[in-house]
Amino acid sequence: MDKALVIQLAGSAAAVGLLVALSAWARIARPTPPLDAEAARALLAVEFPDDRVDVLWIAADGAGLVARSGERALVAWRKGDGYVARDLPWAAALDAKSANKVVRLETADGVARLALKDGEAWPPPRLLSGEIAA
Amino acid sequence: MKAFDPVQAAIPFFVLAVILEIVLARMGRANARYETRDTAVSLAMGLGSSIAGTLMGGVIFAASLWVWEHRVFTIPMTAVWAWVVLFFAEDLTYYAFHRLSHERRFWWASHVNHHTSTHYNLSTALRQTWTGGVAGTWLLWLPLSFLGFPPAMVAIQKGISLVYQFWIHTEAIKRMPRWFEAVFNTPSHHRVHHARNARYLDANYAGVLIIWDRLFGTFIPETDEEPVRYGTVRNLPSFNLLTNVFHEWIGMARDVARHPRHALGYVFGPPGWSHDGSRDTSHTLKAKWLARTARNGVQGGPGGES
Repeated sequence: MDKALVIQLAGSAAAVGLLVALSAWARIARPTPPLDAEAARALLAVEFPDDRVDVLWIAADGAGLVARSGERALVAWRKGDGYVARDLPWAAALDAKSANKVVRLETADGVARLALKDGEAWPPPRLLSGEIAA
Repeated sequence: MKAFDPVQAAIPFFVLAVILEIVLARMGRANARYETRDTAVSLAMGLGSSIAGTLMGGVIFAASLWVWEHRVFTIPMTAVWAWVVLFFAEDLTYYAFHRLSHERRFWWASHVNHHTSTHYNLSTALRQTWTGGVAGTWLLWLPLSFLGFPPAMVAIQKGISLVYQFWIHTEAIKRMPRWFEAVFNTPSHHRVHHARNARYLDANYAGVLIIWDRLFGTFIPETDEEPVRYGTVRNLPSFNLLTNVFHEWIGMARDVARHPRHALGYVFGPPGWSHDGSRDTSHTLKAKWLARTARNGVQGGPGGES
């Protein structure tokens, strides 16, 4: 391989490392506080603007949510300093497996791992009863 | 003789500019957000893209040379008028390439990874495709060589356009002077292009000159009433580099395998097209947005100056 090309690639790789380290040092990601009911509804309004929300459940650490909209489950979970949103059949959401205080919701192209409270089972009674969240 | 490559020459400037943006943001002197893993993906995409470009470069240059040998006119590389004409012709070609890359899935599969960041900073500019050579979008530039522009001249102008487009990937600059916004692609115009808001989808395809969008009806101004949210309609669920590079190609192949009778639609239809209408395209998302705004009594269509 061309020696100049190798030097150029090595230099570029070093620059990438430097810039990534600098961005980590700077701590200038978006502030992403844990979701509360208001923030969760705002997130749903952005990600699913045409869907009504029947019931809302927020993960114990505020890093995700599950909402029922008819026969669909609207799911959002934190990725970096933002959120990823997907939907899946409501029945599949209720059937999701939980272990070690984490429920695992499989969507078409991603998995939401949402924290449960101490002693909380999946699905939470609130979702089963259809109680509307505050 | 090796032709001058504006992009390679500008790499040290790119690095310094990113450092400056990060440091100014850290000091609270510039509006910029950087998430470490997002930045890592953007920069790794840039590095991989230059490797992919090197691998494909010979083929593309050889094809351009072959076409130029069958040219209609002989255009001198030393003439000023030739550079002026090429500036406009190349920029129009870029507009066509960019619009195609958003409106047809085959080319979107290659281009989408430039849009997967949920951030908009100078590192996003470097989040470039690895599969553009395979997608064949470079063919769109061949007519310039057929007209008679030497391939080296076309390559240089293409590089100048890419270098120009680096600085517009920032939130640190709100608006440029009015006359500049009217003619050139700017951070404001390009923020709209990187938006995932339904209102802003499929707009502002410009390279250097925004006039093409104004001319062909694809211009949408940035409005203060609706801040831009960056990324794709369905943001990727992970920071995995290879997922970022290949996810749309894989999705397309999967759709074709599942619905071979509708293969053409899944390959050459607009992104989000499905044979049963179960998915959203930019068109349907905009229609839903318009219906919502009409329902809520909000003024202003997607192209409305506000």
